[in-house]
Amino acid sequence: MTTAVLARPRTVREPGHDTGTGKWSARYSVVIDAEEPVFAGHYPDFPILPGVCVLECVRTAAETSVPPDAGRVRLASVESGRFLAAVHPGDVLDIELVWEPRGADWRCTAKVATGRGPAATARLRYRHGAAR
Amino acid sequence: MTGAGETRAALPHRYPMLLVDRVLMTAADEIRSLKAVTLNEPWYARLGADPPEADFAYPDFLLLESWTQTAGLLAARPDGPESGTTMLFGSMRDVEFHRRVFPGDVVEHHVRLLRAVDDTLVLEGGSRTGDEPVLSVGTVTVAFRPREQPHTKHTGPATR
Repeated sequence: MTTAVLARPRTVREPGHDTGTGKWSARYSVVIDAEEPVFAGHYPDFPILPGVCVLECVRTAAETSVPPDAGRVRLASVESGRFLAAVHPGDVLDIELVWEPRGADWRCTAKVATGRGPAATARLRYRHGAAR
Repeated sequence: MTGAGETRAALPHRYPMLLVDRVLMTAADEIRSLKAVTLNEPWYARLGADPPEADFAYPDFLLLESWTQTAGLLAARPDGPESGTTMLFGSMRDVEFHRRVFPGDVVEHHVRLLRAVDDTLVLEGGSRTGDEPVLSVGTVTVAFRPREQPHTKHTGPATR
């Protein structure tokens, strides 16, 4: 997949299954280097990571390891996304994911933080099938 | 129709993150714009010798950025919020991805202003290429705040 952000997530904790709730949880980290191409234009005088790029990192992390129960899935929608604080060059994104089945789909809920605290929350909806 | 020069003047974004090529129309509470996707964008710089076709798909979240920059152009008109403020991407709800787009596709964005309360705008709309829907945006909420020093809480497209 071609992405705006060069960095790739590092797996901190592989998806683990909670048999009680049926949910899967995982944890990733992404190092946001100052050399990321987006910073040149966002913005020339004050580099901050675009909110959409934070969500893209969540997506890349989510798709690193989809719960085996889910099979082959594709991103269908962002049910919700909320930006809480800026992400700067040199920050490390800590991404906590929880996957749960929702009917025929899967929902992936993400909490994103940097060393300064919460940066974003998001809920992604995944659907069975190959790419659109 | 508004030229590229006016678009560039109205947004603080620059290459490679200035993702609106042309404004087709603006009205009191809506705007339409075009984004042309090309193989010459830096996201494709890392493609190997023989990449799979899927790797030519334009990054979905950059289309959403392009849509939101269009919303920023609606807010940046002379009757918009006071200058000296920055537009912050606050939240989104029900953003659906319908199909991928590829180099050579021209994406048309449509943004409608649903409501404006104090310094907060709620927008909706979508994007298509030809007759095919690409993106639908349930709501995006942006807020205007006094412009602060660099390295403060700016997370999204800004205007003015």
